[in-house]
Amino acid sequence: MSLALLVPLFLLGVAGVAIPIVVHLTRKQRRNVVAFPSLMFLQKIPYQEQRRRRIQHWFLLSLRALALSLVAFAFARPFVDQSSLGLGASTGPREVVVLLDQSYSMQIGDQFERALDEARSVFDNLGPLDRASLVTFGQGARVVARSTSDRLRLRAAVDTLSVGSSVTRYGPALKVAQTIIEESDLPMGEVFLLTDFQKNGWTGDEGVSLPAGSKVTPVSLGEQAPIDNLEVTDVSLARQSVRGRERVVPTARLARRGGEAAKEVMVALELDGQEIQTRSVTIQPNGAAAVTFQPFTLSQPHTRGTVRVPSDDLSSDDVRHFVVSPGTALSLLIVEGTRTGSDASLYLRRALEISEDGRFVVRFRRSNGIRPQDLDGIDGVILNDVSIDGASAERLRTFVDQDGGVLIALGENGGWPESAANLLPGTIGSIQDRQQSRGSRLGFLEYDHPIFEAFSGPRSGDFTGARFHRARGFSLGDSATVLARFDDGSIAFAEKRHGRGAVLVWTSTLDAFWNDLSLQPVYLPFVHRVSEYVGGRSDALPWFNVGQVIDLADPDALETAGLISTEAAGLSDGLDQVALTPSGESITLPAGEGPRYLALDESGFYTVRPPGSEPERPFVIAVNVELEESDLARLDPEELIAQITGPSIGPQAGPGFTDGTDLRREDQERRQSLWRWILVAAFALLVTETLLSNWASRRGSTGVAAG
Amino acid sequence: MPPNTRISSAANGARLLDPAVLARISNLELLARTVVDGFLTGLHRSPFLGFSTDFAEHRPYMPGDDIRRIDWRLFARSDRHYIKLFEAETNANFAVLLDVSASMNYTSHSVTKLDYAKYLSACLAFFSNRQRDRVGLVTFDHDIVEYVPPSMKHFDTVLHVLDRAEAGRAGSLAEPFLKVTELLRRKGVLVVISDFYEEPDAILSAIGPLRARGHDVIVFHILDPAELGFLFEEASGFEDLETGEQIPVIPARLKDEYLRLVGEHLAEVEKRFKQNRIDYQLLDTSQPLDMALFQYLLARERLSRKR
Repeated sequence: MSLALLVPLFLLGVAGVAIPIVVHLTRKQRRNVVAFPSLMFLQKIPYQEQRRRRIQHWFLLSLRALALSLVAFAFARPFVDQSSLGLGASTGPREVVVLLDQSYSMQIGDQFERALDEARSVFDNLGPLDRASLVTFGQGARVVARSTSDRLRLRAAVDTLSVGSSVTRYGPALKVAQTIIEESDLPMGEVFLLTDFQKNGWTGDEGVSLPAGSKVTPVSLGEQAPIDNLEVTDVSLARQSVRGRERVVPTARLARRGGEAAKEVMVALELDGQEIQTRSVTIQPNGAAAVTFQPFTLSQPHTRGTVRVPSDDLSSDDVRHFVVSPGTALSLLIVEGTRTGSDASLYLRRALEISEDGRFVVRFRRSNGIRPQDLDGIDGVILNDVSIDGASAERLRTFVDQDGGVLIALGENGGWPESAANLLPGTIGSIQDRQQSRGSRLGFLEYDHPIFEAFSGPRSGDFTGARFHRARGFSLGDSATVLARFDDGSIAFAEKRHGRGAVLVWTSTLDAFWNDLSLQPVYLPFVHRVSEYVGGRSDALPWFNVGQVIDLADPDALETAGLISTEAAGLSDGLDQVALTPSGESITLPAGEGPRYLALDESGFYTVRPPGSEPERPFVIAVNVELEESDLARLDPEELIAQITGPSIGPQAGPGFTDGTDLRREDQERRQSLWRWILVAAFALLVTETLLSNWASRRGSTGVAAG
Repeated sequence: MPPNTRISSAANGARLLDPAVLARISNLELLARTVVDGFLTGLHRSPFLGFSTDFAEHRPYMPGDDIRRIDWRLFARSDRHYIKLFEAETNANFAVLLDVSASMNYTSHSVTKLDYAKYLSACLAFFSNRQRDRVGLVTFDHDIVEYVPPSMKHFDTVLHVLDRAEAGRAGSLAEPFLKVTELLRRKGVLVVISDFYEEPDAILSAIGPLRARGHDVIVFHILDPAELGFLFEEASGFEDLETGEQIPVIPARLKDEYLRLVGEHLAEVEKRFKQNRIDYQLLDTSQPLDMALFQYLLARERLSRKR
């Protein structure tokens, strides 16, 4: 062990010791300057300049010199070089970090129990000066106990752990370990990684780099023999409308990983906790199968459903939960002008009628006005080539302000009263004829918009086949968005949002008069998407995945989560809410202005309701595990360790092990950080010197010209 | 009566001559009139009122005398020709040579040396103007700054230049006095007012030629009480007002030596002036102007007796 310097060049700064001496000897007297007519006589007096040149306060000078030397020494970054001690990993106090995998794949066999035993064993074998931390991880990492030598506390922390529902991610846990070791003042760091080493949990670009000298001990807990794992990968919920009643046809998709022979499994469908159907299916090793159940009539909102296969070693992926509610058919009002041809809305009406689940209920009105009763129960309004009066426009303004949607398809007769011009996304112009160039095509589509989002993928709908021979000119107004343009840059489709309501303008017709879009295959889905958007419907997700977070204060998020009616579920913005987790834990979500985040950490059903109430059909959120975790392909521990520890220097260093003697000089210096203490000492010396010099100056001000 | 006694009696009757009081009067003419009138009132019994144009004596007419000076009334009574003589009939040139070098800008109380010198110059000019002398002014530092030729009509100009005079540059005597010697060719009374921060040899070599040209030279050596007594206590850096040079000074250690050097310097200067028949008076800016005015009157009285 010897004192070494990381940046010895800074010792040149010791030359700065000369600064106070030079300053002392050369500086001018700066105290009270007295103006005097002439120094003629004073200069004749032999002045005792030697008094200034003679250093009188050696002690003060020594303090200054020492302080400056210490500053230079601190900048040279001194440290006690422990390389020569030959300390091995087994000697010296250690900072031990136990990373314990809590992902649901650890439920296979007794993996998790063995992991707990390994953790207890590590804590039992701690040295008297060692400190240990316990970090559990799945998708994220959680520090259960940090840097303590209290073994009882560590063991107690181990006893509280259980398997989670999330997937494996090594990155966050290793970064936590990296931080703990970096912040530790103990010379040695050791990481115990207790996991099944799933390949999915490590991509290699997590950017983890444990401090040099850290030792990583992998404890692989995975089953050596391949397991036969059956999982429910998906449930599709096709809807049918039969005599006005909505029916759902569930289809479960199964996958089997491993296995040696085909086997027959029973697949059960449960609704609201009751098993209502069972299907038998034969599935091959590493094969897949689909099971379609009999349709069931959907009458209640927030109906909980579960598809279940017999439990195997990895039981979390043997079920798939979903929540389904009766479809909310969109009521659309199509208004057609009296001067418009009788078949102007033919294509539009036919397109809306084509849906298996009866998702659109269309009301048709041929008039240039809209009565108040026309809008009762209407989700969206389509004005097809009609010029409405001012009163109707004001009714539509109220309708939009109440979150309604309006689509205005402009034709020859399409128009809009000037009094409600600010409701539109722009100003309607004259008819523009495109016959000479054989018609325009749609040259730009806003694929990020919900209407066109479904068409963004390849072979997902081709709008370029449609030719537009005529369109109405349209100039865009403030706060409006262009959703589609013709290839000459003019606007084909524009939108203006009004809160949650919207007004959209299609500058050509929706029939085959001015364009042939209605003859294109993309017309049907386009009309459906536009109608759904105008009607304000978004598809509810039947389930979420573990690890996702939902904001229960966000109406859009609630709609996405399948909330049908806030009132029916007993939820209100101004009231507290309680979320009941699948494991029975209550999470209170207090009322307030801010968001109400609910972390979905468990697989099963989360029930959200007001505290102390029992709504008949409470709001339920289904949560399923990520199936990525079911892929048990293993990662080579040495490969992972090699990526996070860097190359070893010592000749005796084995794989996955870097000896403490190989600590780099920079790391030793950084851990010891002696420079901080030296700077503190230098500062203290300077303060002392200042106080002493002031005292001495006051004391000797009458007789001494310079200190 | 010894001069000191006269001075004290005059001072008692002329409180307005206190420089601190005079400093409140911004108009130099008013100041000069106030000082001179008050001073003269206090001296109305003084035997030195000899510079008027009063009759002195008769003497028998001698061939060659100007017949216009014959007293015809006495001829009518006595039938003899007598010449009428008047005392102190001067109408001479009078010029103040005022040092406006930066060192004159010093004070340790309320009146700088330059202000004191201005009051003194104004009073002397007023005196001279009242007895119809031609009044002129030269201000100088290391060169001549302003020059007002002596004239009966230049009293106001002299006061104006005095009022405007400011100390600023370093000073020396040799160069400006060489030029003054050339400028003032007609004999007259020259009052030199300075703090004389030069070696005695240099001072005399500068002023001596004026005396040699026949001028009557009166020197007022103006110093501040702090210069005379070195009234400093705290260790300080002393900065030369003219050169800006600084030296650290511990007054307690240097005071005795300084006073000794100043005393020797003053004694040597006075001695050298007397040797050259130049009237010399050391003035302390904290003292009233009486002493200076008396010195001037003494000199004029002496000059008038010579006629």
